Amino acid sequence: MTARYWWGEIDEDGECRPAPADDGEAVIRLASLESPMDGTIPGTWEAAVACGAVPDRGAYLARLHALSMRLAADRVAGALRGPDLELLQMVRTLDELDGVINLLTERAVEWYATQDPKFTRKFRAMPARRLVQVLSPRARGPLRAVLVQVEALGAARAELAREVTRAALRVMPNSSELVGGLVAARLMAAAGSLDALARLPASGLQVLGAKSALFSHIRAGTPPPKHGLIFQHRRVHTAPLAVRGRVARVLASRLAIAARIDRYRGELDPAFIEAANARVDGVLA
Amino acid sequence: MIWRDGTLLSPGEGGVYGERTRGGYRVWDPRRSKFSALAHLDPTFDLAPGTRVLYLGAANGTTVSHVADYAEVVYAVEFAPRPMQDLLAVARRRTNIIPILADAGRPGQYAHLLEPVDLLFQDVAQPNQAAIAVRNRPFLVSGGRLVLMLKVRSIDQSRPLDEVGNEAVGVLEEGGFAIGSVRSLAPHHRDHLAILGRRVG
Repeated sequence: MTARYWWGEIDEDGECRPAPADDGEAVIRLASLESPMDGTIPGTWEAAVACGAVPDRGAYLARLHALSMRLAADRVAGALRGPDLELLQMVRTLDELDGVINLLTERAVEWYATQDPKFTRKFRAMPARRLVQVLSPRARGPLRAVLVQVEALGAARAELAREVTRAALRVMPNSSELVGGLVAARLMAAAGSLDALARLPASGLQVLGAKSALFSHIRAGTPPPKHGLIFQHRRVHTAPLAVRGRVARVLASRLAIAARIDRYRGELDPAFIEAANARVDGVLA
Repeated sequence: MIWRDGTLLSPGEGGVYGERTRGGYRVWDPRRSKFSALAHLDPTFDLAPGTRVLYLGAANGTTVSHVADYAEVVYAVEFAPRPMQDLLAVARRRTNIIPILADAGRPGQYAHLLEPVDLLFQDVAQPNQAAIAVRNRPFLVSGGRLVLMLKVRSIDQSRPLDEVGNEAVGVLEEGGFAIGSVRSLAPHHRDHLAILGRRVG
């Protein structure tokens, strides 16, 4: 068997061929190398010199350094770039914003109650965003400044949510078409990348985001979760309780296919969407 | 290794991660680096100039930069792209660091980049840490040193250190290492055991 090293290769007759002298070509060759690990013996720099790949140890290390830097930089760029990774950051920022807005709103309401003794709990029945709008003109001093900021954060959040939906339609058109851009993007973010999402089985997709329920089921035998993040999709959370689990399961099965089309074809497949929607709606009918 | 008044130092260009310098040398803090912690706790531990090192779990290259100050060459394997960016910045100034973005548990991914090394240093947060060291054993010269920083809590959240450590030692001895000593890195690092051994055969 031919032994392949970064500096060249030696075939079974002991014949050796140095790697391309051009760094760019050598890196491309390196990127495709993978050694079987049974009884692998690492190459030596002496062999590289004997092969004529490098003149001496200094040159061996210098060239290896140059090539490995390029290879690693290429791989980092590949791993950190990509439209799905920006979408992932956007989704996580969105969820982070929700948390921050909720925390600040809660605190500001407590604070406001000390300024306005007439303030009653009935205000809390209204949605948080509305509550902030009601309180901010009445509040005094720094509290007012904080409330104005919370309002601004709320506006930024709404803008970001719209952008997430738009980006999801671009990056994962089929999944977005099936469950809406926001839910599709959240699922992708939970999986870690579009690639990871496309590799998940439908059963995994169905309970993605229901980690604690799933593990309490596995460990303690509590009832298994019927749905995770896909619960946020309209057809799941509006479904009658009796069929909700079935809707979630069928939807997840179509979603798993949609994610794979998104990952490997990258364009909308109207025929698939129509069939998938009919299948899901068939459960509801 | 270079010591001044009980402080471990390494020779090299400073300013890698905001480390202090003393008399032209870089201070190697035992609380930031398990390698340094081990050197502080074990007076016989040494890193001779000219050593060839395979470093698994290189992370941001903080410790790697110090190791590279002594070693002839450091093959630095790291799996995560984000810390690899930092490591690349370190390796740009230190040409004896060979950065490798690969999974230490799958040595076939980088075997063709390596040469036989004198020291296998491992600091990875994986449940199968001992097995990973065994898989990388072929890169070590016969009699070469193994320094395994066992992150006990990556293996088991609750069992006692010794118990987890003994299991790891069992795996290593089975896999062709002779284990010389096992010591805790307290007080510098909590829940870490330094396992020192050599390749047999």
